[in-house]
Amino acid sequence: MDKGNPKELWEYILTQVELSVSPANFNTWFRNSFIVKIEDGVIYVGVPSQFFKDWYLKKFHTLLLKIVRDISYEFRNIEYLIVKDERRKVQKEVKNTRGVLELPLDEFYINKSDSLNPRYTFDTFVIGSFNNLAYAAAQAVLTRPGITYNPLFIYGDTGRGKTHLIQAIGNQYKKQYPGRKAFYLTSEKFTIDYTDSVQAGTANRFKDKYRQYDLLIMDDVQFLSKKLKTEEELFHLFNTLHDTNKQIIFSSDRAPAAIPDIADRLKGRLASGMTIDIGEPDPESRMAIVKRKAASHGVMLSDEVVEYVATTMSGSIRELEGMVNNLICHAQVKGFAPDILEVRQSLRSFTRPQKTISVKNVVDKVASFYGIDEESIYEKTRRREVVRPRQVIMYILREDFNISYPTIGTKLGGRDHTTVIHSCEKIKREVVVDTDLAKEIQNIRTLLV
Amino acid sequence: MIISLDKKIFSEAVHTVARFAERKSGTLPVLSSILILAGDEGIKLRATNLETGIDLKLEGTCTTKGVVAVPAVVLQQIAGSLTNEGSITLEHTGDILSLSSGTGKSSIKTIPYDDFPSIPFPENPKNRIILPGIILKNLFTTIASCASSSTIRPELSSIYLSIEGGVLTAVATDSFRLAEKKVPLTNKGTQGKFLIPAKNALDIAQALPDDDIIISFDEHQCAFVSQGGMLVSRLTNATYPDYRQIIPKESVVEAVILRKDFETALKRTTIFSDAFQKIRISFDQKKNKFILFARNTDIGESTETISANISGTALDLSFNHRYLSAVLALTNAESLSLLAAGIGRPLIIKGVGDTSLLYLVSPMNQ
Repeated sequence: MDKGNPKELWEYILTQVELSVSPANFNTWFRNSFIVKIEDGVIYVGVPSQFFKDWYLKKFHTLLLKIVRDISYEFRNIEYLIVKDERRKVQKEVKNTRGVLELPLDEFYINKSDSLNPRYTFDTFVIGSFNNLAYAAAQAVLTRPGITYNPLFIYGDTGRGKTHLIQAIGNQYKKQYPGRKAFYLTSEKFTIDYTDSVQAGTANRFKDKYRQYDLLIMDDVQFLSKKLKTEEELFHLFNTLHDTNKQIIFSSDRAPAAIPDIADRLKGRLASGMTIDIGEPDPESRMAIVKRKAASHGVMLSDEVVEYVATTMSGSIRELEGMVNNLICHAQVKGFAPDILEVRQSLRSFTRPQKTISVKNVVDKVASFYGIDEESIYEKTRRREVVRPRQVIMYILREDFNISYPTIGTKLGGRDHTTVIHSCEKIKREVVVDTDLAKEIQNIRTLLV
Repeated sequence: MIISLDKKIFSEAVHTVARFAERKSGTLPVLSSILILAGDEGIKLRATNLETGIDLKLEGTCTTKGVVAVPAVVLQQIAGSLTNEGSITLEHTGDILSLSSGTGKSSIKTIPYDDFPSIPFPENPKNRIILPGIILKNLFTTIASCASSSTIRPELSSIYLSIEGGVLTAVATDSFRLAEKKVPLTNKGTQGKFLIPAKNALDIAQALPDDDIIISFDEHQCAFVSQGGMLVSRLTNATYPDYRQIIPKESVVEAVILRKDFETALKRTTIFSDAFQKIRISFDQKKNKFILFARNTDIGESTETISANISGTALDLSFNHRYLSAVLALTNAESLSLLAAGIGRPLIIKGVGDTSLLYLVSPMNQ
């Protein structure tokens, strides 16, 4: 539901009202009313006559107010207007079409002249500890383009917001320097463009085309590996732009040195400016991202839901957004933000399958992961290399498979359930601070699926 | 609640009030009922259909106070069946209202009255005029028939009332003909205008008492308050067309005829009117005759010649006969004056000596 759209808002209110009043009451009092306008948090409801106005004020005001407050606190009050007869007529004839689920076209809008998607801006970019360095560098590039960090090389795993950041730079650049030309492309597009021009025999025009830009943004340069001719072309383009102090921005999923099969001279140049890594977003940032994303679609999620979503999905922000989109879709269909139970239900497909698994299997996998003897897990040994895996097993059994503490204890060589609790708590605490441990557990989880 | 009142008063009041109850089913049940209140302000009957509303005071004795809502139809039927003189006693116990009069006793199931809406009084009753009820009643009943019966244009299915310079002007039109009636007022200060739905005006006219009433109105609501109670109606919220523009300023021919001649001639000619209900009228200034002519290919044709006082040039015009006969209900004048402004232009009919009325009717294509 779109809070700003009077028609949709009124329809939603009506569905709520219908639940609380008798059908006769509903037909009599609500059939001919509608929202005239929404201004400064005040909803103006148009009613046919004074009878209605008085009765709304007397009987339905508190009910309506409660409903709109539930939708959003931005609605301060409801006022009632007696509307002109003509307006009422028109309103009746207009059939409400269900446009709720249709995404507005601007979501897909891309500016043809620079290929930048205006949806990616700094306003929608969530800054956290994992990306604030990249953000700072982006701002530095914007204040002195071509001079401070040239080229700017941003790398990180898929779905960390690289594309968002570099496109936001492009959009901001256009705003700050209206006369200058920015251009965004993927390395793949560059390759295709080059091969096409070679085929058509217009290689010179290709060269000129890319040399006219004041800001060139190239996404996913890792795909250039093994494409020798394109690399060479990029090398020359790079030199030209760099020499004329034109800003270049690259993004990749790994550091320049780690890109395989790429010419050394290009590798060096890619790394010659500023190279920044976007790490994994911390839980707080993830929560902020979920909130921001939901809010941008006008859906208010409860803190509980936000936390659940942010913690259930680890890794890619893109997947996180997918999850949020799922929730938004649910909210739009049902007309209200889902609660935690519904979220659990609807996100089941995203989360790991909760299949039952034998303890033996887990022990087997974890032991082989740490390269220790499976038997030692069950033994009462307190050797360090055994204790940690054992604790990890307990943690995984508890967190992922919901096995009771006493059962875990008995299965792992007759240990007391308090020992199990202690182990689980310990790992839970450490996993937050120890990224290596978190990664290990992540890897084990993928083994178990 | 225990009240007792005169049978005649009761049945009259119920008939008056029942008109204001909602007749359509499917709405709130309490809207199609009459609310009987017995309290400090005496006995009152209330009904509303959310367009109009009535609050009527009754004379009677109130033994115990209380409020009860009963279906209007049932109450109306009972009231219609009451005979003889005497009084009727209403007693409310539980969800039953018992009516006892003389030998008979009936018990009616009541309706919960919590949902009965309040009857809204104009928010700013500053605009008020005082008028004898009989005049207003007459005004509404005569002029309402000229308003459009279609609801497509709410302003045309309403009566336009404007108060200016101590005169109340009421106008109704359905875009084929227009009636304007003026009534002088005793208090001259008030100015204003409003549109009351013609249907509501008719209902109200039926319930108005003959003595003085106070009309107060604001933008959305008007009230007619008298000693006996209060009537309210919602107002049409629209702009009335500037009807004065279509009234021709000059005329090419005028005929003065006797009302009774016109009435009988019209009656007979109407028999021969065609499917379009067309009647042709001719002004013959040489012979001082006013001629009505109608032809129906199935029935035949008819010509009526009335002696008249014609001044101006000869002219033929055709009209829908219903619109011509409608004027007879609007005035009591002995003679009528018909002014034509030319071919294709509307005809004005006035009562001779009756300055209050102006009736305008558009001609049909020849």
